[in-house]
This record gives sequence, structure tokens and C-alpha cells, in this order.
Amino acid sequence: MAESWGMIVDLDRCTGCQACVVACQSENNIPINEEEHFNQRRAIQWIRVERYWEGEFPNVRARFVPIFCQHCSDAPCEPVCPVYATYHNSEGLNVQVYNRCIGTRFCANGCPYHARFFNFWEPEWPESLTNQLNPDVTVRSRGIMEKCTFCIQRIRRTKRAATKSEGDSSAETIFANPELERALSPACVNACPTDTLVFGDLFEMLSARRAGERLPKPKNRAQEIVRRELQDAENGRGYRVLEEKGTNPSVIYLSKVDKETVEEAVSHG
Amino acid sequence: MLEHVQLDQKTINKDLLGGVLGTPSWWLPTVLFLTLVVFTGLGAFGYMMNKGLGVTGLNRPVFWGFFLVNFVFWIGISHAGIMISAILRLTQAEWRRPVTRAAEVMTVFSLMAALHTPLFHVGRPWRDFWVFPYDFARGVWPNVRSPFVWDPSAVMTYLIGSSLFVFIALIPDLAVVRDRAKNVWVKRLYSGLCLGWRGTPRQWKLQAVAGILLSALVLPVFVSVHSIVSWDFAVVIGVEGWHSTIFAPYFIIGAIHSGVSAVAMLMALGVWMWKLDKYIRPDHFDAIARLLIVVATTWFFFFFLEWVFALYTLEGPEIVLRELQVFQWPYSALFIVFIVTAYFIPVPMWMFKSVRRSAFWMLITTILVNVGMWLERFIIIIPGLLRRQPLTFDWGTYHPSIVEILIVAETFAFVALGMLLFSKLFPLIPLFDIKEGMTNRREFKIGRLTIPATVRE
Amino acid sequence: MASSARAAPHAPRHADPRVAEPPTSPSETTGFLVGKHLRLGDNFWRAVAVFGIFSILGVIGFVVRLGDGMGETAAWGYYVAMFSFIITAASAAPMVAIAPRMANSHWRRPISRAAELWSVVGLLSLLWFIPILWILPPLSDGRRSLWFFDMNHPNLVPSYTPHIWASAAILGLVVTGLALVWVSCLPDFASIARRAPEGSFQRRWSLWMARGWQGTSRQWHMVKRRMGILGAFYFMMLVFVHFLISVDFLMTLVPGWIDALYPVTHAANALQAAAATMVLTAWILRTFCGYERYIGLDQIWGLGKLMFALSLLWFWFWFSSFNVLWYGKMPFEQAVIELLITGPYLWVFMAVFMLVFVIPLWTLVWNPVRHSLWGPPLIAVGILVGTFLDRIRLYVAAYSVPGIGNPSVHKHVLDFDHLPKTVMPDIWDIFIMLGAIGLIALVYMAASRLFPIMNMWEQRELQLYDRGHAPYHRAHVRVMGKSE
Repeated sequence: MAESWGMIVDLDRCTGCQACVVACQSENNIPINEEEHFNQRRAIQWIRVERYWEGEFPNVRARFVPIFCQHCSDAPCEPVCPVYATYHNSEGLNVQVYNRCIGTRFCANGCPYHARFFNFWEPEWPESLTNQLNPDVTVRSRGIMEKCTFCIQRIRRTKRAATKSEGDSSAETIFANPELERALSPACVNACPTDTLVFGDLFEMLSARRAGERLPKPKNRAQEIVRRELQDAENGRGYRVLEEKGTNPSVIYLSKVDKETVEEAVSHG
Repeated sequence: MLEHVQLDQKTINKDLLGGVLGTPSWWLPTVLFLTLVVFTGLGAFGYMMNKGLGVTGLNRPVFWGFFLVNFVFWIGISHAGIMISAILRLTQAEWRRPVTRAAEVMTVFSLMAALHTPLFHVGRPWRDFWVFPYDFARGVWPNVRSPFVWDPSAVMTYLIGSSLFVFIALIPDLAVVRDRAKNVWVKRLYSGLCLGWRGTPRQWKLQAVAGILLSALVLPVFVSVHSIVSWDFAVVIGVEGWHSTIFAPYFIIGAIHSGVSAVAMLMALGVWMWKLDKYIRPDHFDAIARLLIVVATTWFFFFFLEWVFALYTLEGPEIVLRELQVFQWPYSALFIVFIVTAYFIPVPMWMFKSVRRSAFWMLITTILVNVGMWLERFIIIIPGLLRRQPLTFDWGTYHPSIVEILIVAETFAFVALGMLLFSKLFPLIPLFDIKEGMTNRREFKIGRLTIPATVRE
Repeated sequence: MASSARAAPHAPRHADPRVAEPPTSPSETTGFLVGKHLRLGDNFWRAVAVFGIFSILGVIGFVVRLGDGMGETAAWGYYVAMFSFIITAASAAPMVAIAPRMANSHWRRPISRAAELWSVVGLLSLLWFIPILWILPPLSDGRRSLWFFDMNHPNLVPSYTPHIWASAAILGLVVTGLALVWVSCLPDFASIARRAPEGSFQRRWSLWMARGWQGTSRQWHMVKRRMGILGAFYFMMLVFVHFLISVDFLMTLVPGWIDALYPVTHAANALQAAAATMVLTAWILRTFCGYERYIGLDQIWGLGKLMFALSLLWFWFWFSSFNVLWYGKMPFEQAVIELLITGPYLWVFMAVFMLVFVIPLWTLVWNPVRHSLWGPPLIAVGILVGTFLDRIRLYVAAYSVPGIGNPSVHKHVLDFDHLPKTVMPDIWDIFIMLGAIGLIALVYMAASRLFPIMNMWEQRELQLYDRGHAPYHRAHVRVMGKSE
């Protein structure tokens, strides 16, 4: 199937609550980040909420930007891996094959989003948490790279379930059924209380964007948002992070709307 | 200009085989000390392998640290051997004769030392062989687009080529040792190694042709190795300051700068430790220092270009990076030490004839150059990785841990130890080359001038 | 070098007619060379006629181009490309004399003056450069620059900085080059002054130019020392000129073309073209000008090896740049590659790639071609054509980027979707190209009338160093002096 999975992040909705971070942590068997890990700068968070301060006191605003692997169509991390541990699959995902990885960390240097993490230590869990590990996700040993997978295990499982129940595993079928949609969407999307994150098949949008063409008629809710916000450079809020690097990310951000901007727009008519 | 000491073949044999057939008194203590350092380093590596890379100072986003700096440094040093031997041999520069062997041997050992750190620094070193196009179990070939696949192939080719280079030049001397060895086992060892060398005209011709052929063939390899090392950095767009087209030639010329300095250092050590002052004359230092002035200035020009074009972009992150390198502690201090030791102390000193002709001052200046060139690689690699650039949530810091320092020290001790062991087994100055130079030399007078002449076939 | 032996005074006469065997007595050498200098052959005037016509066409082309006005930058692409070609092909040629002289290579001796003489062509590049000062807009018109021109503080850096620096640098290069030729000619001028007919122009000119040369050891010492210093200085000026030209008059016109290596590549291309120019010069001197006793296989062979090495260098520099830009896949760098290599000038680039790298590599690597009188000159023509096309590819493309002189266009990257199309030369551009070739040749030929084209004293010096054959064990060998 020619899907190209993508995510939409509406920064106007993000409150920086970190629910996505916790959900990701428990879904993907990410080791517990203790204080010493942060102090060593070796904490692993596949999704992290970056917080920036904008403006001068007293008009200071906190900006929250959730950053995770952007699953770039032209990913700088892919060609530099000597052992094909990271490559692009047919669903537009930038996948990491843990068994192949020898840990050169070249990919991490290539990534402009800092979305890749290295296991400096053997991962450990407190005794009480050993039973909560997700059996569908490999526990990574030390010495290898890891990063956001768009919860590929959920995609695989749901596709199998859809084939069984609906006889079809296409994105349309899955997204027509809210239960299946919920099963397929990454943990962070399901956990987000404000609907900041929207997951979907962006194939038509991303390929049109890559070819420099007009975006076609949207096929699903995610594509609708992309088309609305990315097509119109003037009024649309859509952008992709570090687009000038030519990486063609699959994640589309919708910029924050400030109260002042809206008021100004209204007063000017 | 070359004042000349004409020596007969007996004296040459006696002087130059002194290290092989006898042992200087400082040799054994030095070797023992270096062995200790090497084993400490290997112990540190074992500890790192056991515990994981957490025991280093590496973190996110500084994924490459001392190990890669050290790798580039040793690859750079290794360029001297070929530079001195191949280029000077092809251009028939007479002053090369006493220095070629030591330079080539240094190439071999520093290449081995260079191989240590990247092989050690990966997350799962026991799977290093996966970067080679040898794979029957996995059914997956290495990714040929990755510079980390080009690297091992190029370095291995270079290592094999330069080892052959050393060996071909060694054969006639091995035969001399064979003829003079007293112990029957030593005699057998050298008889085997010298491949039945009798010194027939045909053998000499084959040896000379092989030397010239290897010189010409190893030169493109020499260029490719360091170009590829530079592309480990330059192809990456994720790190500001690395993505520069000048990197390949800049790394090469920097490598020649540090490598030729290292050869001059070896020459000075030869004079000091083995008392080879009859063979390594002030003129040799003079010639190599003149070469160094040219190389250092070319290197400085490339360094200047790299900076000019980094600032020419007028992009925020690039300027922030340069500011970090020059003005922020501790990089500011390192930068000043680097630029002063790599260029602004040695080159003005080499302008003076008395410095150029003094083994002592050449030793001091060339050590300074190599301190500077090690720091140069540090200044290129680490500040870039701190990632003071867009998405600045992840600013990094880097402090090397004791494990990294021990392993880096191990590489230095390894090269020194290798050279010392080599000098025990084989003469460090090529006997046959020196004899050839002495035999081919003529002198004649034009007016009041004495002109040296050489014999050409 | 095996073959340098063959010019030996006591050598058995060699069967190979390709090897030059200069006369062995100093007076014969000087007499012959002075005679050659004072007498002109028919070939000279034939060449003057042909190149004169070219030059006139060039002047016509230039005047018509002037009618379009200086502001139309794109129209002047070919003119500027020709400027770059002149400075590429001619100005580096003296290095072919300077470098082997520093390395004490004997084979340089018969061609060292011919190489130094190319610096006179620098006068042409200086002249050719003057209109470019008007063609290229100042920094205040909003183009990018190496000089960090700040629109808000226009007084910090003068708006004409690139123009001032480039003019000064080219002037410095030309003056250094002329000084180098003059110093190296001093002893020869004295020889000519003594032998030229009474009252002739050549006698008065040489007498004046010889500056009282007596041949004292102090004077010889002075000449050698100055030649060394001027040679080193010439090389530095050459690198500096190529740096300024390639940055201020080429790279900054293409937004997003950030290639720190390119200034060096530009200079390295010049060295390669210089080797080719000298192969051709040596071959012409041997074939048409009657110097076959002096210039032979050694010279062509030596230069051929140089050309081969520089072809490899060309590839290495080109690939170092290309690999980094291409691998990074950043859109603005892809646009630069598209403009200069894979896009409107693809076929020109292909031709360049073949002529300056692939063909020299696969022919000169082969001994029968490299060690021949016909091989290197043939390849040299290819390299010069390749360099010519290379300069057109780069400069014409750069000058066709829209909005160079428009203050409202302050672009930092090229727009991939609106790259300029191929600019084909019109008839006046072709005239300008012919004019460039004609004027290069004419200026060089005029220079060869004012300065002797063969270095007489270096040739005589060779006879001092050559000690002929000597018995060596069971064989005979040559003994050559090696000044150190």
C-alpha cells in the first residue's frame, strides 16, 4: 500500500502538558529517565516538548513545540548509515533496524532535528515496572540508536486486525472506523488531551509538495488540514521545520495564533 | 649547500645496524613504560566495552568526541610517510634518503593507531566488521553511500599499500642483517624475511621498479583517504560548520602539515636518541623546514578560506558557531593555543636559518605544530556538535572522561612502542638508500664553487 | 631522469631525432639564439595576419556590444568569460618556469623564458578588465559580497571595494610578472646588445634594458636572488588574483553558491591551463620557429607529466566541491548544481569534463602518448578548449542570473523553478571570443620581439652542470650537477 504516514502538530492547541511524552515512554519501552540521565544529557525522549521563551518581561510567552522524528522523505540520517540500520520503508516511515545498528552515531550527527537517541547504558527498569513492558516493542540494548517510529507496532497490529475484520487494510478503511483509527494512531496522538496531534496518511499531499505541485483534493481529515493550512502561504498556518534544509519532513506544524494578532486582524477588518 | 660526510660502507653498516644488533640502554625502560600505557589504555577499552559508552564523556548532542578527534589526527600523521617517500622519491630529492624509512614506518603505525579509536568508539564494537563488504550471515551489504563504508576500505587499502612500501624498501637491508647475525635463529628469521635477496642486478631492478610503482599508486590512495575522512564531516548537513566544500583539500594539507612536522620530530629524535648525526645533517632539517614553511602557509590559506566562506553566508547559526569557537571559554583558550602553536610560533621561527638547522629547535617547533593540529581537529569537531543552532533546546557540553583520555594516550604510546620495537628488529634508516646516495655522489668545481652532482642512468 | 642524459656533450650521437641536442659550446649557443631573435621568419608575419584579423573582429564585437549599454549584465557574460580565460590560460604560465627552477629541474631551461613571457599577456587582461568595472554593479546595488557590505552603514566598506581590490591585484600581478621577465632577461639583453647591428632598434632597446649588465658575480647573485623572490611573489599574487576574481566576479553573482574551495579550484584550473599553454608554446617553437635543437622530447614530456598530474588535481577539486554540495541535498545547493552543471549548461559541462579530465587521464597515462612529440600537444589543445568552455559555462551562467544589479532583489538563494536559460552566443559574442584569442597571440608575439624567447644564460648554465659520461662500476653513467 502506498501510504505515507504523517503527523500534524497544531501549536495553537499545545499546552505543553507532556502527556504525549509519558504515553510514548510507556508505549515504546523507553527506559526511565532519572535525574542523572538528564544531568549527563543522555535522557531518551522520542517525543519532547521544547519550551521557548518569547518576548521581554512582562510580556513573556512560553512557546511549546513538540519535536520528534520528522520521518523525512529525504532524510539526512539514511545515506550515512554504513550498515543500513536506518532506511525508508514503503509507508514513508524512516525505520530503525535495531539488530543491524552498530552504533556509529553518524545518523545522529546528520539529523538537524536532534530526533535520534543513543543508548549509552544498558536500559534498566525498577522491579515494579518490569511487567509493564510492551511485548510488541523490542527492548533496545546499549550501544544502538533509537528514535520515534510513529508507533509502527500499532500500525502493523491494526492493519492485521483490519484485514481480519474488514477484509481490507487501506488507510481509508481504517480511518472510517474510529476504533481502528484509535488503535492505529501513535500513543502520543491518543494521549493528547487538546487534539494537538493529528495522524494520517499524507501520501498525496507530501508527494505533491515534494514535486512542487498544487496540493490535490484531500482524502481524509489530516489531508484536509494540510491542504487548508499549507497551500496558502499567506494565510495558512502550516509549515515544516527547517524546510530550507530540503529534508522534506512528514510532519506539518501549524503555527501559534496570538491574541494580539487576531485582535489586530479584526480591528483592521 | 649540502655539506657532506662521505662514509664507507662498513661504517654505515656499523652505525645504522647499531640499534638492531645491539641495544641502547634507554631502550628497555622506555619500552616497558610504553607497554604499561598501552595496556592501561586497552584496559580502559575493556571497561568501556563492558559498561557501555556511558563511561565516556559523550552525550546528546555531542556524539563524537576525543575518539574522532584522535582518529583524524592519526590519519593526518600517517600522511607524512607517503608524502616524504613517494613524492620526494618521484621528484628525486636527495635529502629524502635518511628519512624515508622512519616516515613510512610511522605511517603504518599511526594508521593502526588511527584504526583504534573509530573501531572502539562505536556502540557495539564486536560488530565492527559489518562495515566491510563481507557478509554471509546477514545477507545485507554495507550501505555504499555512507562515508563510514568508504573510510574502512580506504584506510585498509592505504595500510596494505604502505606496509608493502615499507617491506619492499626493507628487503636489501634485511639481507645485510642476515649476513651479520650471529644467532642461528635470528639468521633464519632474516633469511626468510629477505626473500632470498642476493643483490643481483635483476633483483635490484625489480626492487627499484616496485618502489616507484608503489609510490605512484599509493599517492591517489593517500589523497582519497583523508578526503574521505573529511567527508565524514562535510557531507553532514545537520551540524553547522561541517558542511564545507573545502574540507577535503583542507584536511589533506593539514595532514601534510602535521605529518611532515612529525617526520622532522622523528629526525630530531634520531639525532638525539640514536646519535645519527652523521646521517641526519643540519641540511636535512633545513630542507624539511623550508618545505614546512610552504606547507604551513598553504594550510593557513585554506583555513582562512574556510572561515571567510563560513562568515560570507551571514547565517545566524554559522556566526554563532564561529563566535563560540573564538570567544567562549574554554574554546577561546584552545583556539588561541591552536592558532599560535600551529602557525604563529613555528613559521616565524623557521624563517631563521639557525632554527632550521638546529635539531633541538626543530624538535620543539614540530611538537608545537602537532599540539596545534590536534587542537585544530578538536575545534572543528566539538564546537560544531554543541549545536548552537535552530532547535536550540539541545545545547550540549562536552567533558572527556578519564576513559577517553586513557585510550587517546594509548594510541600515542602504541605508535611510539611500535616504532621502538621496529627499530629493534629493523634499521630505521635505509642502509641501501644511504649507500646509493654516497656512491652516486660526485663533486666538481666551477670557479670557486663546489657543485654536488648525481649520477643518472 | 633518464632522458636528460641524452643531451650530453660527450654522449654517443643519439638515434632518436625527437630528443633535442643543443650545441655544446657557449658561444655557439648564444650566437645562434641571438641570431634567431634578430631575424624574423615568414611564419611570424603569417601568424600576425591571421591573429590581426581575429583581433579586429574582436574590437568590432566589443564596440557593437557597447551599444547595448553597460547595465545589461547578462549580455556581457561572454566578454567576462573571455577575461577569465585570458587570465586563466596566460597568467599562470610563468609558474611553469618558476616551479621547476625552484626544484632545480634541468629540463625547464629551454622553455623557462617562453613561460615567463606569458606574463606580458597580463597587460591584455588588465586592459580587458577595465570595462568590467562598469559592467559589474557596485555593492550598494544590493548584491552579495565577500566584503560584508552593510546597506545600513554604507560608509564602512566602500561600495566599489571588489573593483578596487581586483584592479590593484591584477595590476600587481602584471607588474610582478613584467619585473620577473625583465630581471631574467638582463644577461640576455647584454648578449643581444653586443651582437645586434649598430644603430638598430634591437641594439638600442637591449642596451637600455640591460641596465649596465657586466656579468659580475654580484650581479649574478642579484639576478638569481631577485628571480627567486619575484617568482615566489608572483605565485602569491596569482593565487590572490584568482581568489578575488572567482569570488567577487563570479561566485557572489550566484546567490547560494557557497563553495569555499572554488577560489583554489579557479587557480588550479589556471595552472592546468598554463601547462597546456606551455606544451603548445614549446611545440610551436620547435615545429614552426626553428628551435628543434633546443626544445625536444624532454620538455614536451616533462610538461605532459605536469599536465597529467594537474588533470587529476582538477578532478579532485571538482569532485570535492561537487560531492559535498550534492550529498547534502539542500535545495539552494541543488539549484546551484542545476545552474552550473546539470541544467542549461549540461552539454558544455560534459565537454569540459571529457576534455580536461577524462581524455588527458586515459591518454597521458599511456607511455606511447605521454612520451611523444605529438601526444601532449594534442591533449593540450583539448585542455585549452576545455578550459575555454569551462569559463564560458561558469561566467555566462553567473552573469545571466537575473537581478544582479537590481537593488530591490536581495536574494540569498537561487530560485530553483526560475533558473536562467542557456545563453547562446550571438555573432558579436563569437567575434569577441575570436578577438580574445587573436589578441592573446598578438600580444605574446609582440612580447617575443621585445624579449628573447629563449633563455640563453640558463642554456649556457646547463653546459656547466653537465659533466658528461663517466665510468661507473661496469657501466657508463651520466653525471649531472645539481645546484642546491
